[in-house]
Amino acid sequence: MIRIAAVGDLHYGEGSREILRPSLQHLQDRADLLLLAGDLTRCGGPEEVKVLADELRGLRVPVVAVLGNHDYHADREDEVRRVLEDARVRVLEGEATAIDVDGVRVGIAGTKGFGGGFRGAHGSDFGEPEMKAFVGHTKMLSDRLERVLAGLEADLRIALLHYSPIEATLEGERLEIYVRKQTLVNGERYVTPELKEKETLVLNARSAMVAREQTLFGEPERLWLVLGAERLAGPIRAHRPDIVLHGHAHHGVEKGRTPSGIAVRNVAQPVIRHAYNVYTLDAGRQLLPAAAGGIS
Amino acid sequence: MTEPRRPDYLPEAIREKLIHDPRVAEQDLRVEVREHRVMVGGNVSSPQLKQRITEVAKELLPEYEVVNEVTVVPAAEPDGEEPVS
Repeated sequence: MIRIAAVGDLHYGEGSREILRPSLQHLQDRADLLLLAGDLTRCGGPEEVKVLADELRGLRVPVVAVLGNHDYHADREDEVRRVLEDARVRVLEGEATAIDVDGVRVGIAGTKGFGGGFRGAHGSDFGEPEMKAFVGHTKMLSDRLERVLAGLEADLRIALLHYSPIEATLEGERLEIYVRKQTLVNGERYVTPELKEKETLVLNARSAMVAREQTLFGEPERLWLVLGAERLAGPIRAHRPDIVLHGHAHHGVEKGRTPSGIAVRNVAQPVIRHAYNVYTLDAGRQLLPAAAGGIS
Repeated sequence: MTEPRRPDYLPEAIREKLIHDPRVAEQDLRVEVREHRVMVGGNVSSPQLKQRITEVAKELLPEYEVVNEVTVVPAAEPDGEEPVS
């Protein structure tokens, strides 16, 4: 069994010191490697990532990361990357790395990924140059993922992203809300002004509950265009990594699968609500052939 | 002050401020404004960040009461591990 610790969206900056460090003290007893799924900083400042790098320095497990959108905000992503690499964190963008864990070759293909949306509501490279650039960026990163996954020879293969390749980890559980509207209408003749006021409160509560439910249990669907892209799932369908890890969707849910059954985990820290989560993978299991992918 | 001050624009103005002010830079906060109260919800990683949200909102709207319902996300070690297949 290979034990993968993973977390994303740490959003480090000034004032973040010691948030993670106490929980990393025993990491080497619990995991064989640590993967970071982007948004390591608040605004992409090298001084922000330095705070995190200092906490990661000296860990006795290999650390592999991709950057996220926050890490690009200051246009200093190269410096962010160098600070991490100085702390022996391997940063991937359209690249792969392989780590030997007790004789098992664990391969990680990484890219930030980008938005673009999902089937039925995805952006197309049509129209304004800005829209073409938006979708073009997703396509370019998806092509990079395709290339590195195709060339990744390992006993266990992991795709590490910041943006989500599937809708399932963006979509929270939906509560079923039943409003007994009809009953109240039928009871109209018995309704006093006071009861009428209560009834209005109850009926209006539905929209309030839906809004509350959305904030508690799921990303608002209008945001899905910027939370992930189905295009990223193409290389995953074709090359079938053993697990896909991503972050970015703070109001999403942790667990999902592609329709063809590949495990996807949203490890955004506000979702997992721990310093990291640990996933164990069996390197000896029979992988399905790529051709058996079907639609995902 | 360049932000629109119409009450129905205020939540978005505050959200924009909380996204772009480098002291906070959080994209996932919920903001509601009712009468002279600003209510902010969501998740952040540290108590300092939570405090800064109040400060930034207060700077923008000094005459409003800021009700900070933001949760500081715990960052303890996980309890167990999940076998994935």
